[in-house]
Amino acid sequence: MRHVLLTAAAAATFASAAPAQEVTLARFFGACEDAGTDTTTSVGEACIIQSIINAASAEIDGVTVNTLPTDWGNYYDQIKAAFAGGTPPDVFVMHAHTIPEFASLGALADLSGDLEAAGIDTSDWAPLALDGVTYEGGIYGVPMDFHANLFHVNLDLMAEADLVNDDGSPILPTSPDELLAHAEQFKAATGKNYLAADFAQFPIGVRLVVSMLWQQGSNIFDAEGNAQVDTTETRAAINSIVQLFENDLADPRLNYADSQQAFLNGEAGILVNGTWVVDFYDSEAADPDVPLTNYYVADFPVLFEESATWAGSHGWAIPASLKQDDPETYEAALRVIAFIQEHNLDWARTGHMSVLQSVLESDDYNALPHRDEYAATATMAADLPPTEHFSAIQDILNRELQAIWLTGKSVDNALSDAQIDIQDVLDS
Amino acid sequence: MRSRRAAQLSQRQAALLLLVPFLATYALFLVYPFFRGVWISMHDWNLLAVAFNPDAKEFVGLRNYERVMWGEDIEWGLAAPLWQGLGLIGLALAAVLHRRSRVSRFNAIALGVVSLLLVVLPGFHPGEVGRWYDRRFWPTVGNTVLFVGLTVPGVTISALLLAAGMNRETRAMGILRTLFFLSQVLSVTVVTLIWQIMFSPRQGLIANITEVAGGTPINWLTDQQFAMAAIVIATVWWSLGIAMILFLAGLQDISSEIYEAAALDNARGPRAFWFITLPNLRRTITLVVVLQIILHFQVFGQSHLMTQGGPNDTTQVLVRYIYQTGFRDSELGRASAMAVFLFVIMGGFSVVQFIIGREKDE
Repeated sequence: MRHVLLTAAAAATFASAAPAQEVTLARFFGACEDAGTDTTTSVGEACIIQSIINAASAEIDGVTVNTLPTDWGNYYDQIKAAFAGGTPPDVFVMHAHTIPEFASLGALADLSGDLEAAGIDTSDWAPLALDGVTYEGGIYGVPMDFHANLFHVNLDLMAEADLVNDDGSPILPTSPDELLAHAEQFKAATGKNYLAADFAQFPIGVRLVVSMLWQQGSNIFDAEGNAQVDTTETRAAINSIVQLFENDLADPRLNYADSQQAFLNGEAGILVNGTWVVDFYDSEAADPDVPLTNYYVADFPVLFEESATWAGSHGWAIPASLKQDDPETYEAALRVIAFIQEHNLDWARTGHMSVLQSVLESDDYNALPHRDEYAATATMAADLPPTEHFSAIQDILNRELQAIWLTGKSVDNALSDAQIDIQDVLDS
Repeated sequence: MRSRRAAQLSQRQAALLLLVPFLATYALFLVYPFFRGVWISMHDWNLLAVAFNPDAKEFVGLRNYERVMWGEDIEWGLAAPLWQGLGLIGLALAAVLHRRSRVSRFNAIALGVVSLLLVVLPGFHPGEVGRWYDRRFWPTVGNTVLFVGLTVPGVTISALLLAAGMNRETRAMGILRTLFFLSQVLSVTVVTLIWQIMFSPRQGLIANITEVAGGTPINWLTDQQFAMAAIVIATVWWSLGIAMILFLAGLQDISSEIYEAAALDNARGPRAFWFITLPNLRRTITLVVVLQIILHFQVFGQSHLMTQGGPNDTTQVLVRYIYQTGFRDSELGRASAMAVFLFVIMGGFSVVQFIIGREKDE
């Protein structure tokens, strides 16, 4: 018996010593312990992406993927520290808006010459997605999705307030005045808040305000690096939101978890949150114990002249050092990214929009729950001009906006402070 | 052979030899990084850029310190009458108390220095056309001082009362001592998680109690008036244990004979605590206070995880600002300048502790 065990142990050692190329991978999206390898049934961002990664590790010959432990809130700090320490992960997920900062320093591998050989067809990418990962002519990432702000709607409450069309879709505002009128009508009929969102910590407020800036043809800063925060357009955008707080039609003090809970508990008509929760809310609405039952997803409404909403894009990148020093792992890393891209439809199940034309046009994609309800978002997607200081600028805006609605700082002071701080960051 | 070689080492050499591992580790992991930090603080140093190109840094002398702490057209005047007035009162008090020999020379000097800082520091402000180069730095320092100012008395007083209450050799007290110490062994992530749930206005214990009592739940972590209090409460709960153990050790040093003698003079309960326990614990209290001050100036996790410095920077603390400047903004030079500033503050308190420690021995 002992002999058998020893032989088995030896065999196992040999098996594991087979020339499997280990690829380290870093990602945000949260943890999922038992994601398995079934990419078609997992629910939620964390479990869907981990099931795809697990499947890549199991199915790609000679490649094992080791997902590194990372934390959402400090993800980019960890990545920077890893780069500074000379041990970046072989593959890592990034927001398209962070690519300029890393690519400008030579941190990222230019993938443009190697994608085709790895089976990645860039001609299938949506043009906006290609733009997002392109820096000075090079391609520094493989895009995975578009994500955007949406209105998540409780149709039952909206019906109570007489805010539902005959076709069953919610009646949404088309101007700031109408927003206030709808919110008041809603409160009068239901006694509940019209709108909920994490206005207290997560930068949802920033995304709302910049969306409304773009809807007025304005922006936070221009392509030459001049801050233009202190404008009448910004005031109009901020006032659209503040009027809801002032009239007790929304609560600015809810954080992410609390605002989500308020929506699921049927305590608010509309939740402003991203594409990433559509499948989660859909599954919650199907649960008889959850008060939300009639769930609808709507495009972010156009309250001003132009159609625009905040959007971003996630993509996968590889360190330049890997391409230069370790071609074998680089090739394995590309195969992992190609595998993830092949499962773009699975990833789109989260609620994110696909970046692949072939997927966008497929019946399977269009048959995903609620997909037709926010189809227009794809054409409304917009982002800030490329900058190496995206996070710092977003933090400044988030702080000053929260100062307005959480601490009563005057809009004038908040905007003049934001103007100075953002200009300092752009100049640094 | 071995004994002969050992005999050849003088006591001094043997001591040095035994100290070498410690000194090497100390030099490598503490002294060298410290001086490197000071060196980095004198450079325009982008974390990522220098990682890829060591020549990407530029020597800028003290410009980072100026950029962080100073501004354009900074003037000095009566900008914060309340604080500066308090400082003046403190200065006068220190002089009077010292002249009448009511306090020791050291205490008079300490009070004088703190008061002088109160008069001088809040007086700096930008003139009409001026501005701070970094308008967040000094408010962040202020928040950190406020946090320390609330947490240290909070920990010290509650730990002292708990220790006095549990200074009895019964099984129940043993269990209670263990229970109160347990929070100390938790990591900051666990502590903040527990308290985020406790403070949640929807499902938190505090909100439930408030609702039962007929009140409206408070949004502790996102309300300007309560956010700082929330992280102070969590920190006091977390740091009680070690202070309590130190006080218990101090209490057990007080001879029971003193209490017996005091009891004969009718000093029991609170009177005994005031006239016997407190004076005898003076050294322990000072030690606990100084240790806590040094510890809590380095607060990071509670602010980072519970409130993310908000709302409107009301809970933004120095280490979190250093962290953000260094990693989020990649401005390692400026972050190091702030870190050196923090070092000077903590160094100051360490000197105080050192002086007090020496006073005790004399």
